Amino acid sequence: MKVKVFTVLTLACALFMMACGKSDADLQKAAMDKLTAEKVTGVTVAVKDGVATLSGEVADATVKGKAEAAVKSVEGIKSVDVAKLTTKPLPTPPPPSPDKMIEGTVNEAIKKLGLTGANITVTVSGGVITLTGDVAKADLTKVMQAANEAKGNATKVENKLTVK
Amino acid sequence: MSLQEKYLTLLELANANGTSYELSEGDGVLHVNGSAPSEEAKAELWAEYERLDPEYRAGDLILNITTGAGDAGGGANTYTVESGDSLSKIGSQYGIPWKAIWDANRDILKDPDKIYPGQELKIP
Repeated sequence: MKVKVFTVLTLACALFMMACGKSDADLQKAAMDKLTAEKVTGVTVAVKDGVATLSGEVADATVKGKAEAAVKSVEGIKSVDVAKLTTKPLPTPPPPSPDKMIEGTVNEAIKKLGLTGANITVTVSGGVITLTGDVAKADLTKVMQAANEAKGNATKVENKLTVK
Repeated sequence: MSLQEKYLTLLELANANGTSYELSEGDGVLHVNGSAPSEEAKAELWAEYERLDPEYRAGDLILNITTGAGDAGGGANTYTVESGDSLSKIGSQYGIPWKAIWDANRDILKDPDKIYPGQELKIP
């Protein structure tokens, strides 16, 4: 009998705690405060039964991830739905310089690396840089940097180098 | 999966190590143009790029990160003269007339026929 009373009391206590848990409105406010603290702007939070739904538009995917993590960290939030939180459409890159100009720039940048034994051919067509030939594994990143950083707004870097 | 999501850890690393960047996207390629606070920070980003795409084969990212030191010259495009070069030969490598190079380098050149190995010519 004693055990039963204890069980009932425990249940009653649990129910009482739930009822007194943070309301959706409290959670919504806590989530917004958390976002403000993390300097995330442009996000609207709605909370229903402890489930937060984020909406709005943020600068990029890193801000979206940050917003999701921030709201998730609020005590009492069970889950976070970010399906309605979009990232800003990205602008298109500026048009590329003439192919020959990009080609000369990349060739010069690779020459300046002073690689020994490398045999790299650079071709540029429609702003797309294609690298062919051989490169040592240790030099690949340097060559890719040279191609990626070339002035002239290349539209793409195709790495067809054989890595030795 | 969007390209931003594919390279999310790279972008998060940029935020964490103090690299400022701007994104643009065209023809299925994500362009990350930015400025890193140090060579180490830039190397971290490239290490992450290589981790995500070993040997850089996907061709869907342009990672153009400058560092303060490397870009001190205002990012000018230059060419270092080699033995056997002439202005017209250099011009043909860039698809521009020799006279354009001559005009851009009047400050360091006195005679278009006299250029010397090691000279840094501005490419207009």
